[in-house]
Amino acid sequence: MRMMTRRTIATMVPAVLALAITGAATGPAAAFKLGMAVGGEAASNWQKPQGEVAAALAKQRGWEYVELSNNLDAAVATKNADIFIQDKVDAVIEFNGRPEVNPVLAAKFAAAKIPVVTYDISQKGFYFVGIDNLAAGIAGGEGLGKIAKEKWNCDVDLVLSSEGAGAGIVNEWRTGGMRTGLQHICPDIPKEKYISFEGSGQVAVAAPAARDVLAAHPDAKKILVVGLNDAGVLGAVQAAVQLGRGDDVIAWGQDGAFITGDNVDPHLAGSVLYFLEGYAVYALRDVIDPIAAGNPPPMKDTGDDPASKVKPCPVTAEQAKSIPGIEERVKQLMAAPAGTTEFDLFCPKS
Amino acid sequence: MSMDKSAPVVEPTGLDRHQLRDLLTGSVTSIGVALLLVVIIGLTWVGPNFLSTSNVTIMGSFVAIPMIVAAFAGFALLAGVVDLSIGSMLGFSSNICAALMAAGWPLAGAIPVALVACLICGAINATAIVIFGADTIAATLGMLVALRGMTYIISGPVGMIAAFDNDFYNLVNLTVGPLPLIFVFSLVVIGLAAFIVSRTRRGRHIQAVGGDDRAAARAGISVTRVRFVALMLSALGAGIGGILYVGQLGSASNYTGTGLEFQVYAAMMIGGYSILRGGIGNPIGAALGLLVVAGTSNIIDVRAISPYLTNIIVGLMLLAAVLLDRLRGGDAYE
Amino acid sequence: MTEMAATTPSTTPGRWNALRANLPTGWGAAATVALAWIALIVASGIHRADFLSHQTVLAVSFTMAIVGVLAVAQALIGMSGAILDLSQPTGLIMSAAVVAWLLERNVPIPLVVVAGILVGAAWGFANASIVVLAKLNPIIVTLATNFIGGAVMFLVYQNAQAPLKSSFSDFGRSYFLGLPNIWWPMLILILVVGYFLPRTRYGRHMIAVGGNRFAAQTRGVSLKKTRLAVFSIAGAIVGGAGVLFACSNGPFAPTAGATFQLPVIASVILAGCSLSGGRGNVWLILLSVGFLSTVPTSLVFFGLNSNWQAVFQGIILIVAVSIDGSRTKRTQR
Repeated sequence: MRMMTRRTIATMVPAVLALAITGAATGPAAAFKLGMAVGGEAASNWQKPQGEVAAALAKQRGWEYVELSNNLDAAVATKNADIFIQDKVDAVIEFNGRPEVNPVLAAKFAAAKIPVVTYDISQKGFYFVGIDNLAAGIAGGEGLGKIAKEKWNCDVDLVLSSEGAGAGIVNEWRTGGMRTGLQHICPDIPKEKYISFEGSGQVAVAAPAARDVLAAHPDAKKILVVGLNDAGVLGAVQAAVQLGRGDDVIAWGQDGAFITGDNVDPHLAGSVLYFLEGYAVYALRDVIDPIAAGNPPPMKDTGDDPASKVKPCPVTAEQAKSIPGIEERVKQLMAAPAGTTEFDLFCPKS
Repeated sequence: MSMDKSAPVVEPTGLDRHQLRDLLTGSVTSIGVALLLVVIIGLTWVGPNFLSTSNVTIMGSFVAIPMIVAAFAGFALLAGVVDLSIGSMLGFSSNICAALMAAGWPLAGAIPVALVACLICGAINATAIVIFGADTIAATLGMLVALRGMTYIISGPVGMIAAFDNDFYNLVNLTVGPLPLIFVFSLVVIGLAAFIVSRTRRGRHIQAVGGDDRAAARAGISVTRVRFVALMLSALGAGIGGILYVGQLGSASNYTGTGLEFQVYAAMMIGGYSILRGGIGNPIGAALGLLVVAGTSNIIDVRAISPYLTNIIVGLMLLAAVLLDRLRGGDAYE
Repeated sequence: MTEMAATTPSTTPGRWNALRANLPTGWGAAATVALAWIALIVASGIHRADFLSHQTVLAVSFTMAIVGVLAVAQALIGMSGAILDLSQPTGLIMSAAVVAWLLERNVPIPLVVVAGILVGAAWGFANASIVVLAKLNPIIVTLATNFIGGAVMFLVYQNAQAPLKSSFSDFGRSYFLGLPNIWWPMLILILVVGYFLPRTRYGRHMIAVGGNRFAAQTRGVSLKKTRLAVFSIAGAIVGGAGVLFACSNGPFAPTAGATFQLPVIASVILAGCSLSGGRGNVWLILLSVGFLSTVPTSLVFFGLNSNWQAVFQGIILIVAVSIDGSRTKRTQR
């Protein structure tokens, strides 16, 4: 028995000893170092390009670039913040899908005096770069409302909201904003016609849930769908098609993930493009370049008064046909003059 | 079930001790070597900074809570009843604690409520499995699903509860010398669990029940009671983990603890436990397993290798670890 | 864990015993699930008469289709004693993604269907090879390969979708005799596998390996060959589910298969198939999948949201396995 313990300890000793050794400081810090935490939205098609665009822009400037994935996990996001701080990065971009942990991240970065840009989700003390989610929601709702008015004279049986509670306040802004925008155009749709379900912003989750909701409203013939993002909205469209009611549905999405390309669902009437993959252009142009030049911009950390405002680009499915797919967009963006945004390049002027 | 409780408890014989020793030194040694390897790779590839105070703090803080959960869940594994509900239960506890704090309760009031809620769920698990004889994987899977639903309900339409308590946050992030307090605490918990498992009569009973429940019953050990208690301990560990996450993350969400059961059990298997057969594994092995995984992903992080590779590497490590264990004479499946 | 434990008579008199002994395996589980299903339908129908509509039937049968096919594969794995295949989500989506990729390149549909099934079979074979060659536990192997496979897929693609304007997608969204086209392959699969499993030498070998591997070996059944075969067949079935998934769904991410894992496992357990082998009746999967697929639809009619669905599904599973457990225990005593 004692023998065993000794051997156990013997195996532990090198490890513990090693842990006890404390390393020296890092080598000479030459280049500006940018840290980027991508969200971990494995289901999205823009997450990887979002990191790649940031990496390319950093490379153009001769900066060092460190990318970590928050993996949609609050504990991982916290650990990543610690790694950025240890790495002595000069600035950080956070696209954190778990905003509940943002106060902790903010406390850590503030203590380390590292400026942080946050995409889309505001946090006190972080430069806000991104879409005004509420405005984007309202714009999408109005776009859908116009079609509903034209086609059905606003006489609607059901308004389905594909919510994504996991996105927190962003969901309230986008999905709720779409309902608000719809009411601007069609104010007389009765309250009880609005039905919500949890779709988690994923087709695979939204489709079965929407199927049950549609079954519970067998008589609805004129159905509008709004939601957190294109994927969540498409889940509801999918469900309607499966139940033989695809043509009873008009849907409008958010984020534009599935409105471009040659395989767009015909029941998706429009979406609001944010061009998420190209956010780094805004972040670098308006916040991080000035910081690197030694002249940090004033702190603007709210969606109402952002450090850099990404303009939402509401498009109908018809207009979207002229917009290239995500890979082509990234290519053109990288070839464009510095500071040009995807909104400038691709949003139809109407 | 119909066991004679008055039967004399037979102490494990000398032979048992030898078997125990072989198991312990075997798996713990190989995982210790694996950790040493990770440290060497880290030191050569990342440099001396791999073991700098700050990097050790990063790894320690990240691994501490899973380690505490593992120390408790280890009792259930050892007793031969795997508890798949620990991740959801941790989220359940976290959300109860955060919701009560957000409602103005003091931490000292929120903690017992969260723990009691988890113990009740643990008792439901144990009743289904031990009293009714339900399949362990199936019953705890049911609890996993049910409690995830509960965390969605508690966290409400925005899916999160802010509960940033400055004192709690500072306490969780305190450092003791070069190490974070929470990591030291988790090491103490692991040490205590290891002591109970290998040095006390109750610990040996748990191993006996997990190793061969009929033999244990013949030896007069109450299989029912041991497994019931083991499942309650597993629930308690998840409850404690959930509360500590509220301190570390200043919040709880409907997502808290999702997939944690795989993270923890994968590391525990790397560390020498079996999730299908009781009686083998040691809390120290579990801790080393978690450190090996944490160390490896830290190397990936610090070297800023593509974050998309972590899962591939953890998967390969899991395969390698069970293969190594098998080649050394562990669990062969045919 | 003796085989056919559920049919062993307990305390009832002789004639009744003889009757019960002639009933198919797992009749107790079948009766329980069928009663629960009927009770659920009646209660929902009383609460809201329009529950009993074609729309409800469609909603439930779409849910059933993919879960049912995957459950057959999972049941084969379980009954052969390999416990669980946790890599099903990856196999399903890998097959669906290959199907979508081939269709975009205008490969003829019959070839695409075969390719989808083969991808699944290859995935199953790969898993089995690790299990057999390294003698590792399938549950751990498939846990690891699911991690690895999912991550590799994400490196290759983020979103895939079968071309919407194609007869392939039309098939997945149309009906035959008032039920979804994709429901019928599931029914046929359950009937065929359920019929042949206990009635062919091969099927009996498979269950024998699950029930008592040593006894099976002494009777000359090769463990390795049986394992490789079972995993490959189960994989082919998962591949088939991938084809059905691709034709009936919109865009899907590498992670889209994860939502099926729990309902599939729950269906297999509820059908009374033992995960540690040797016991089970594939026909009963039709009942368990039907019941579990009706629960979420029914709850929506009762006005409860999806969060409560999870709570109810979890509780149903715990109660069901407790009943199953106590029944097995009673008969063993």
